[in-house]
Amino acid sequence: MIAGHFGLAAGVKAREPAVPLWALMLATQWLDVVFVPLYLTHVERIEVIGGGPPGYGNGIIHADDTHSLIGALVLSLAFALPAAWRWGRRAAAVLGAVVFSHWLLDLLVHRHDMPLLPGAPAGTPLFGFGLWRWPLVTAAVELALVLWGSVAYLRAAVATARAHDPARLRRARIAAGAVLVSGLLTLGLSVAGL
Amino acid sequence: MSFFVGLLLYVVVVGILDAKLPWPRPRDPQRRP
Repeated sequence: MIAGHFGLAAGVKAREPAVPLWALMLATQWLDVVFVPLYLTHVERIEVIGGGPPGYGNGIIHADDTHSLIGALVLSLAFALPAAWRWGRRAAAVLGAVVFSHWLLDLLVHRHDMPLLPGAPAGTPLFGFGLWRWPLVTAAVELALVLWGSVAYLRAAVATARAHDPARLRRARIAAGAVLVSGLLTLGLSVAGL
Repeated sequence: MSFFVGLLLYVVVVGILDAKLPWPRPRDPQRRP
């Protein structure tokens, strides 16, 4: 899941307008951002089911550090601490929660490959409800999150502009349009296996 | 690729567009849109 995380973060922006959107967007993908260098150095890996080319949701993801429950909590804290220094406690709590929301949404789609502890020690449980076994359903869930986040963001951005600077109403609508188009493009690429 | 495209679009492009809107600042007293 990629686009769905972004959709959730856009929805959070509507509820917590003081938190910068770019920080929410980075937070919602923070686990995957940290995953990238570990993947490139073969510390974490993706096992494609059936041995074919990688596609939408057809992998067992051995992200045993970044996507373990404890690892996700540590990464949430690591993101929230500098945010607390920069933006205060409330913004930090929101951003930390958004980082951890990545683990919760991934729990829905991953195929029983998310460990409790970093490194997935033998004998410890793995989690994941495996919605990726039904790619169309997963894509529909992601689309719903993108649409919900885009509409929530549009309403909040327009209301904010109308209340505090009506001259920026057009900019608010353009930003909301960009939220929607970015989500649809990301989801399309993702479903295409790109 | 979708991950990097999404990150670029949302963090950079949408982030810049969003920053030009009159949102409250993080340490401002609470006000909702």
